[in-house]
Amino acid sequence: MITKKMLILLALILIASPMLFGQTPANPTANGHWVPISAGFSMAIASGLCGLAQAKAVAAAAEGMARNPGAAAAIRFALLLGLVLIESLALYTLVIIFVKVA
Amino acid sequence: MHETELFITKLFNDNLAGLGNTLTGIVGMAPEPRPWANFVTMQLLVALILVVLFAILRPKLSADRPGKLQHTFELIYDFVREQAHEQVGHGSRKYVPYFGTIFIFILFANLIGLIPGLEAPTMVPSVPAGLALATFFYYNIMGVAENGIFKYLAHFAGPMPALAPLMIPIELVSHLARPLSLTIRLFANMYAGEQVTMVFMKLTFLLVPAVFMGLHVFVSFLQAYIFMLLTMMYVAGAVSHEH
Repeated sequence: MITKKMLILLALILIASPMLFGQTPANPTANGHWVPISAGFSMAIASGLCGLAQAKAVAAAAEGMARNPGAAAAIRFALLLGLVLIESLALYTLVIIFVKVA
Repeated sequence: MHETELFITKLFNDNLAGLGNTLTGIVGMAPEPRPWANFVTMQLLVALILVVLFAILRPKLSADRPGKLQHTFELIYDFVREQAHEQVGHGSRKYVPYFGTIFIFILFANLIGLIPGLEAPTMVPSVPAGLALATFFYYNIMGVAENGIFKYLAHFAGPMPALAPLMIPIELVSHLARPLSLTIRLFANMYAGEQVTMVFMKLTFLLVPAVFMGLHVFVSFLQAYIFMLLTMMYVAGAVSHEH
């Protein structure tokens, strides 16, 4: 788990970064170079969280099917529906990336 | 996204450019030298394949000696009918044609991208958007046809009239989000599947792109099924009677 020290360190880095990087002369697309970087990070975060959520769904479905093999068809249906809806949340992030990164 | 012209699109653009410009002119778009886009010709190809397939199937239908084609289509029909009955309940029979069309069209449109020389029309955002809008209009029109316009609008207000000021914005937003999510889900899955295969093909030609192509086949089936399933759920929500 993230300790308090890591959080404080992260906050300091985030606060310091405009000062560190704000030394280039101002131009109309001053912070345009952040877009691909944040696109990479955001897609990674979205995919990671989607992976966690799908793992929970699959784990619950597998346990349900193990406890009650007779209900396997219904559980499989709910599992598939849930997986696709969670997947589509990660894909919304991908679409924003298409829109914003060239 | 660099779009190269497929062989079929080149045929259309070389020979039927006038027709293309007439059709786009009907909606007020300016004429351009090569009006046919890849996804338009691919959709026409999918529609042609489906029409030819059913034209071959229809004379061969027989109750005594069904052939392989009939068995395959009976499987698909039973599948769609069972799902419709499970989601919509009784009265699902009149919606089965639309559900079946959506399922088969999206399935063929997704799978046609695997053939070299052809590309999936569902890979461009316009095609899933059109399908999602068709579904949106379909379930609203079926809801109005079943319940009458006043009762249909009244069910946006929720279970109790006191909750209406809260429920109406929520229901409106969630209904408007439906075609958006249907579009993005189908488009992003198809586009990402192709891009992932391309990326791995740049890395290595051995085996790994085929694995991702196999995943893309599975995702194609799944996305066609999910689109149909969500359509059924929306129609079920729209035509349900308050008992």
